[in-house]
Amino acid sequence: MPSPASRSPPLLLLVPFLLLLLFSAASAWKKDEFRNCNQTPFCKRARGRKAHSVPSLSTADISISDGAVVARLLPSQPLRQATDGDDPESDTVPPRPLLLRISVYQGGVLRLHIDEDASAPRRRFQVPDVLLPDLDDRRLWLSRLSSPAAGSSSFYLAEGFEAVLVHDPFQIQVRRKGSGEPVLSFNSHGLFDFEQLRAKKNDDEDWEERFRGHTDTRPHGPQSISFDISFHGADFVYGIPEHASTSLALRPTSGPGVEFSEPYRLFNLDVFEYLDDSPFGLYGSIPFMLSHGARSSSGFFWLNAAEMQIDVLGPGWDDPAAPAKDRIDTVWMSEAGVVDAFFFVGHEPKDVLRQYTGITGTPAMPQEFAVAYHQCRWNYRDEEDVAAVDAGFDEHDIPYDVLWLDIEHTDGKRYFTWDRVLFPNPQEMQGKLAAKGRHMVTIVDPHIKRDDSFYIHKEASERGYYVKDASGKDFDGWCWPGSSSYLDVLNPEIREWWAEKFSFENYVGSTPSLYIWNDMNEPSVFNGPEISMPRDAIHFGDVEHRELHNAYGYYFHMATSNGLLKRGNGKDRPFVLSRAFFAGSQRYGAVWTGDNTADWDHLRASVPMILTLGLTGMTFSGADVGGFFGNPEPELLVRWYQLGAYYPFFRAHAHQDTKRREPWLFGERNTALIREAVHVRYSLLPYYYTLFREASVSGIPVMRPLWLEFPADKETYNNGEAFMVGPSLLVQGIYEERQKSVSVYLPAGQSWYNLRNGVSYAGGVSHKLEVSEDSIPTFQRAGTIIPRKDRFRRSSTQMVNDPYTLVIALNGSFAAEGELYVDDGKTYDFEQGAYIHRRFIFADLKLTSVNIHPANLGGKFPSDCVIERIVLLGLPSGAKKAVIEPGNREANVELGPLTLRGGSSPDAITVRKPNVHIADDWTLRIL
Amino acid sequence: MGACLRISLTISCLLLIWISASASIPSRESLGIAPQDLSYYKSDVIKCKDGSKKFTKEQLNDEFCDCPDGTDEPGTSACPQGKFYCPNVGHIPLTTFSSRVNDGICDCCDGSDEYNGNVSCPNTCWEAGKVAREKLQKKIATFQNGVTIRKQEVEKAKQAFAKDEAELSKLRSEEKILKELVQKLKEQKERIEKAEEEERKKREEEERRLKEAERKANESKNAPEESSHDITDQAPEKLSELHNQDAMEDHHDSAVEDKNDYTTGTEISDNQVVGKVANDHDDTIAKSGHEADGRSDGSSFSHVEKQHVVEAQDNAVSKANTDYPGTEEELSSHVAEQGQVSDSTEGLSREELGRLVASRWTRENAAEGNDEVNMAKEGLEHDEDIREENHDGYISDSDEDHKFEDDDLEDDQDAEFGEDHEEPTGAYSSDEDDKTDYSDLTVSGSSSWLDKIQQTVNNVLQAFNFFRRPVNISEAATVRKEYDDFSSELSKIQSRISRLNEKLKYDFGKDREFYSFYDRCFESKQNKYTYKVCPFKKASQVEGHSSTQLGHWDKFDESYRVMLFSNGDRCWNGPDRSLKVRLRCGLKNELVDIDEPSRCEYVAILSTPALCLEEKIKKLEDMNTGQPSAHDEL
Repeated sequence: MPSPASRSPPLLLLVPFLLLLLFSAASAWKKDEFRNCNQTPFCKRARGRKAHSVPSLSTADISISDGAVVARLLPSQPLRQATDGDDPESDTVPPRPLLLRISVYQGGVLRLHIDEDASAPRRRFQVPDVLLPDLDDRRLWLSRLSSPAAGSSSFYLAEGFEAVLVHDPFQIQVRRKGSGEPVLSFNSHGLFDFEQLRAKKNDDEDWEERFRGHTDTRPHGPQSISFDISFHGADFVYGIPEHASTSLALRPTSGPGVEFSEPYRLFNLDVFEYLDDSPFGLYGSIPFMLSHGARSSSGFFWLNAAEMQIDVLGPGWDDPAAPAKDRIDTVWMSEAGVVDAFFFVGHEPKDVLRQYTGITGTPAMPQEFAVAYHQCRWNYRDEEDVAAVDAGFDEHDIPYDVLWLDIEHTDGKRYFTWDRVLFPNPQEMQGKLAAKGRHMVTIVDPHIKRDDSFYIHKEASERGYYVKDASGKDFDGWCWPGSSSYLDVLNPEIREWWAEKFSFENYVGSTPSLYIWNDMNEPSVFNGPEISMPRDAIHFGDVEHRELHNAYGYYFHMATSNGLLKRGNGKDRPFVLSRAFFAGSQRYGAVWTGDNTADWDHLRASVPMILTLGLTGMTFSGADVGGFFGNPEPELLVRWYQLGAYYPFFRAHAHQDTKRREPWLFGERNTALIREAVHVRYSLLPYYYTLFREASVSGIPVMRPLWLEFPADKETYNNGEAFMVGPSLLVQGIYEERQKSVSVYLPAGQSWYNLRNGVSYAGGVSHKLEVSEDSIPTFQRAGTIIPRKDRFRRSSTQMVNDPYTLVIALNGSFAAEGELYVDDGKTYDFEQGAYIHRRFIFADLKLTSVNIHPANLGGKFPSDCVIERIVLLGLPSGAKKAVIEPGNREANVELGPLTLRGGSSPDAITVRKPNVHIADDWTLRIL
Repeated sequence: MGACLRISLTISCLLLIWISASASIPSRESLGIAPQDLSYYKSDVIKCKDGSKKFTKEQLNDEFCDCPDGTDEPGTSACPQGKFYCPNVGHIPLTTFSSRVNDGICDCCDGSDEYNGNVSCPNTCWEAGKVAREKLQKKIATFQNGVTIRKQEVEKAKQAFAKDEAELSKLRSEEKILKELVQKLKEQKERIEKAEEEERKKREEEERRLKEAERKANESKNAPEESSHDITDQAPEKLSELHNQDAMEDHHDSAVEDKNDYTTGTEISDNQVVGKVANDHDDTIAKSGHEADGRSDGSSFSHVEKQHVVEAQDNAVSKANTDYPGTEEELSSHVAEQGQVSDSTEGLSREELGRLVASRWTRENAAEGNDEVNMAKEGLEHDEDIREENHDGYISDSDEDHKFEDDDLEDDQDAEFGEDHEEPTGAYSSDEDDKTDYSDLTVSGSSSWLDKIQQTVNNVLQAFNFFRRPVNISEAATVRKEYDDFSSELSKIQSRISRLNEKLKYDFGKDREFYSFYDRCFESKQNKYTYKVCPFKKASQVEGHSSTQLGHWDKFDESYRVMLFSNGDRCWNGPDRSLKVRLRCGLKNELVDIDEPSRCEYVAILSTPALCLEEKIKKLEDMNTGQPSAHDEL
């Protein structure tokens, strides 16, 4: 946008001061605008408690009912006097019994549910529509309680695992059967506390809360829940996004040697210029934590959408003299809701991920174009700009698949509209991109401009579809359009209505190649407390905003995604990027790490952040390549492309104040480097797409921490600098300016091939490697096969018929395996079996393509694609030719380049033009 | 795949023959190879151009990449780094990326890049060629006409340059003579003043005695509290007398010091009171004027002052607008205070808070918006802040005060000298005024004029009788007036000289083809903005009453095909603004397009005959006759 100095004489003097004022206000993260634990009464209360200081509860009336264990929780007898002075309610209110219910699901999942009984003045909120609808079908019917010892009951959980309910004080433990070795325990430190709903008294100072001029009326008083969870056999805990961190494992927030740390906060917030390393909560919340140690992996998930604070307690927190070994204790605190918690007891970390995604869903299978490269900026200004950027990619032979339009494309930030001057012909514009196989994404946010001439607002206000404020009026907050209201997406009816807005008839100017971006859905409210919605705002069913806050963005994302599904008559896979997320968001689309900054530390933090998202189900995630705020030096931008090319979601984005940074704007050399980085991603698209398929089936993320693949290798447990892409690729980021060398740890068990030059490196060792500007270190694990497509096109859609390259990295016994999944990249026909799924197995000098498409599924995906090249790493020289069956055809074997890049030397054993079809069974024997 | 490829190749070859009888049949051996490259592929064993490998003729275009640089696959998509040549008979040949071969999109107008049968590309070369040729012809015509205009322009520039040089040398000789005269007058004047000074002292002494006596008389008469009203209570005559004396004193002092005197009458008149005000003001003007511009002196002070103050304000505004805290201590501390105030957002209305937070992302003024009442309210508050700031002395003067003084001064001004005396950076179309201003000096500037004034001066000098006491007031005034007049003429000439020097130091192109641009500005209106580009001076973006500097003249670039303006107003959170003006051959000087492709980096296109170069016509004509050559600028 042109930058006017001012518009009228009085403003001439006023503007500079305002701008300066804004600059100083904008220069850094505003810590004061957000609450810390001490300013958050429930957190302060819970954090002030010491182990076993809470009046304990005991179980009564334990029984099996409807296949589940049920009991009542009562104060332990005799009723102990509160030892804790700052727990006023425990002295004054006689507690009602709490209802406890424990159920067990297939695959080693225990669910614990604790709520008030029917005499409570109000029903507490239980988060709907997150758990998979078929979960109940997978519940195991418990029939028997055992009594392994006096005062406890035990029951079956899974093969080799049982659960134990200790009666007094009440405690739950999941443990290995036989050895009795604990895996997870609940309330073993007696920190369980459940603030029951009660009537207000005159002198109750806890009732209202004030923060920076905002008053929270808290009409139902304090109602928080807190408890302790211990992970046994754990070296580290991970998960509970979203926080910016340069550490993959969660650092202790409390305990000996930890000073002044805040707990990890889970509260979806729009944070301006967030820090690169802080337990502060960002845009999304997934209250799921995993633990891993040499002996055990486990997980814990609390389905609760209110503000949550989680302390990871350092060893010795309870007794500095005797720090616990092999155990990590955590304290979970939430402002409202109920206990609806899940315990996962997997043997291996991948089991825990399967268990978690088994209840919240696996990631949706994306369209293939969405796995390719996205070009975004706030803002591509007008149709000319769009055309010029599109042409720039062609001119520089850099592929891209999606061009994005940020808020400025709308008519006055009224979503679903177009600025008529800047975008007079949106359909034609999309058509031009689509003619090159490219797609467009426009932004649609949840705040609706309060403008009676805007049809969305008119309908929404007439139908009462907005969230209400504490007084019952439509909540009116400030966001991009100015005065705005927010759709109450908790209500399924409103979500249906919203979904209809995406039909081609309703969204004027949209075409089938247009997809959607949901931003600001934390929700962001510029004049609200902590830049969000007041907690006492009212949703559908008299639910307070505090109770569902962290899931608001989730419901909005869900509604939008369903809108795109409807638009395509259920045939076209939606693509919706969301900034806010909650447990289960993986079913509705991709997320990104929000407004990061163009500096090296944010580049570094992107890896632990995305890995954490992957571990908690959100595998389709990425960070803004280049950094949103600020101007990256060309070197940083290049390094970011080189790393970002491996993010599951690969998008460049920039703030409107930054200099333009399309890939070709930094001189020929940098253009070539960025082109190369983008080409790497495009050549690996078949591998990525195969990994997305795996994720959509098993929940195992595309981008993985090393320990997920090497759970026994302790060296990998807290490595947040390197990561695996699938089982076969290891990528080490370069996070420092002008770095000359880097130490790369390659996990034990096999050797590794440098993907640049084919050189092999031993595993289980840290290698000091020279770093060049043209790539970041990447290795293929010995024993794996990676499918690639080495021909580049304008976009992924033109690569459909291009031939494949297989890169086979042999292990010590000259064997390797890999998979390839192919479907139409667009529809749900794969659900009917319209896909190709092959396993390539190399052993005894013979490569075999095995069909792993289940025969009973039926369906078929036709493809004429062939494999044009097979590269063998680690094969002793001497191979002369290859013989292909069926047909007894011969193919030449010679030395060729490992990659088709200028300057690569022809030193890899290459099978030339085997031209075997990917859809067929065949074998290829090396002679 | 191979077989399929061969079949589709044949089909597409047949298609090509059918479409364009003149097209030669591309065989596998020549597919995608430029004619001048064909010989490279003649031998049976061919080297990869990067030297990495050799390949056989069978491996040429066999859909398998042997050379990473693409040598062996000019006609297929097998090598990512390959290039594909389409002959495009009827139009211009095109070399494109191998990634475009058989990707389902028609890239070559002859369709030769899509031969696998997945998509059929009609041959559009003739049509496209025709359009291109017509366009080219138009362009040639433009160039031909443009060259003529350019020649005229160059001729005009030559004359103008010669004229300016001649004027400069004449002015220099006039300056020399005038300097001598002024020096003589000055000496004379000083002598007169010395005499007057002696007289004055004498008179003062008498008056002092007189006053003393009067005061003693008053003291005995009046009550003490009335003494504070003395001055206002005094009789008008006395006041006037007093002022006359003071004024005279001041007047003379300043005249000596500053060579600056506005009084033109031969008698010290009542309006000396005004004169004093003016004079006092001049003292400050003189200081600021000298600070701002060493070359400015004499009668132009007041204007320098005016401009200086305006600029100072502009600077303050633009600085505040653009500088970060820390560059201006006072300002930043002020802002820091503001920042603290804004930190406690509790005082803000909901809407103000919303705007404030939004503005972090948007860099937009938080006060901006539909709510004018609110805006006005904020505006008021901040106006007050700024005024306070002014009183603290950051901005040299407030607007109102300044205006008042201006008006006063203008009355006393040499009207014809008007608004001329500005910095080169301050004006963009002032030279025409200059020419008329100087017409009396230069156009009629024959030697007789100089002779005449020399004569006049001599007369004046001789007429004065130094030995008369008291000093003949009328004669003294004549000397003063002549001194004032001539020193004013001198300064006019000097300033004109410096302006000419300033102009002539610029690089106006190989043939001085841009000479006429010195006095010109080009404007283009885009939406709400008007863009003004004044070569050798500055470029700005104007919206209503406000103007944003896009840059000051930097230089020509790319051998006079680009004009660069740099160091414009700072962008908030961004770089200094800059403008790159790309020049194109056109019949008129016209700013045809302006854009901001990157934040605060503007790009404009200016069409001008100055770029219509004769040698370019040859090139264009070569292209027109169908020579396969690069098709730049088509």
